[in-house]
Amino acid sequence: MDYRQEPHGLFFMIDNKSFYASVESVTRGLNPLKSVIVVMSEADNTGSGLVLAASPMAKKLFGISNVSRQYEVPDDPRILVVPPRMNHYIQMNLAVNRIFRQFVADADCFPYSIDESILDMTHSWRLFGETPEAVARTIQLRIRRELGLYTTVGIGENPVQAKLALDLQAKHDHELIGRLTYETFPEKIWPITNLKKVWSIGHRTAAHLQRLGIHSIGDLAKINPYELHQEMGIMGDQLFALAWGIDRSQLHDLRPVKEKSWSNSQVLPRNYSVQREIELVIWEIGQQVTSRMRHHRQQAACVSLSVGFAWDGKSGDGRSGMNHTRRINPTDNAQTIIATLLALFREHWEGQLVRNIGVGLSRLSASQQLQLSLFQDPQRQIKNDQFDRVIDELRDRFGKTAVIPASSLMPGGTMVRRAALVGGHNGGNSFD
Amino acid sequence: MGGIALIDCEQEAKLIGSRLQDYFTPQWHCQYRIDVVNNQYGSEFNFFLDIKRQNHRERSIPLHSLKTTDLTVLERVINGVRQQTELTLNFIDFGHVRWPESQRWIR
Repeated sequence: MDYRQEPHGLFFMIDNKSFYASVESVTRGLNPLKSVIVVMSEADNTGSGLVLAASPMAKKLFGISNVSRQYEVPDDPRILVVPPRMNHYIQMNLAVNRIFRQFVADADCFPYSIDESILDMTHSWRLFGETPEAVARTIQLRIRRELGLYTTVGIGENPVQAKLALDLQAKHDHELIGRLTYETFPEKIWPITNLKKVWSIGHRTAAHLQRLGIHSIGDLAKINPYELHQEMGIMGDQLFALAWGIDRSQLHDLRPVKEKSWSNSQVLPRNYSVQREIELVIWEIGQQVTSRMRHHRQQAACVSLSVGFAWDGKSGDGRSGMNHTRRINPTDNAQTIIATLLALFREHWEGQLVRNIGVGLSRLSASQQLQLSLFQDPQRQIKNDQFDRVIDELRDRFGKTAVIPASSLMPGGTMVRRAALVGGHNGGNSFD
Repeated sequence: MGGIALIDCEQEAKLIGSRLQDYFTPQWHCQYRIDVVNNQYGSEFNFFLDIKRQNHRERSIPLHSLKTTDLTVLERVINGVRQQTELTLNFIDFGHVRWPESQRWIR
């Protein structure tokens, strides 16, 4: 393979080791690598409780993994269980990224997730050390000293190499640093046979590759790319590039989103079977999404509803849920949108138990003046429109629960309890 | 913020007390304790309610964070908290230091 034409930069992919659990350890004066701590969400819809993060020691001693259930965690007095504080983690993530920005220009720091960032060190690494590894060490020590957190660093000549170095090498390295280059890539990555461990390969893709007779990354690299394209389409091209450690993405030219849309979904605290209750939640989510859209002065011409069935309530034909979409005249009026959602629901629902509800609004356009319909009382239409805006303003000024529809207090309503959550989990104490 | 952040010690103690009331439900065979942590990394003092039930997982619930490094402030808040509860206070990471007002050892 001729790599001369490929981009040769220097990228760091940095991740915080067991981020939530480490942050909780530090605030309690514990060492993140030694404490046995489990962050457990007990939000309504997590059932008995869901492990959001476990410290490295908790993973090692008790085999607890993230997304374990409460009942899978042993009832052992050595384990310390703490509730999540999502707002605090967001603050810590910002603090970590502030430190990163002392090593790269602002434009070269790309937050990837709540605990991972990509740093394009191509132009600045020489300022901070002799070798990339030494620079990585310096960053690790800075973060440890200032925030008390341990970080893992993957180093590569492009973003995908950095990500793989992080996932496959650094996490098992004593120094928590891993490095891949075009030269070392075949030696380090090709022998991997557990394809699912490699970034971007999920269990379905892995099974697909197995069916094609591809049992290691090396096999993937040596396959005819044209055949792979024929079989898997553009994903095949991407996997082939991955197997050779090639990534031509230019992080600086952000791709504009093709078409933006607004959506919200939630897992219900229990299986819902009563139509009135399900419709109440659809109504609540519809309100929430429409309100978000109105904040961006947009209106939607397409409404979609997705309903996930309870695990034991799958419909007779084995479907695990349903997705339906309908085009409407562009509007930002909650009543109209919700009426469409309810119509979709009533047409297609056949009494299955429901556990998951999502609402999406797409085909957006800038909302202009109200377009009056010929078939309705104009005064009524104007009133409806103003009503929505007043509610939005009240919520902006006094909080999400300042005004709520009385129906949200009925059995099945989730709005009031969810208002305090961040990303579906406890945000932490307010006024802190 | 910048400058001197004014902290109303009485208000802070009350807030801790009210949160404590929500979470502290006395039960048999349970040990309750308030952890006060000197968090060097965040320049703050953190308060937690620690619940230990025999042969069960230990729980630790955040009560409040005091955004200061001033021990005088902490001493006043602690005095306020002590008026509201008899729970043991456990001081973590304070080293061998005395309270600025009462001159007793912090422990």
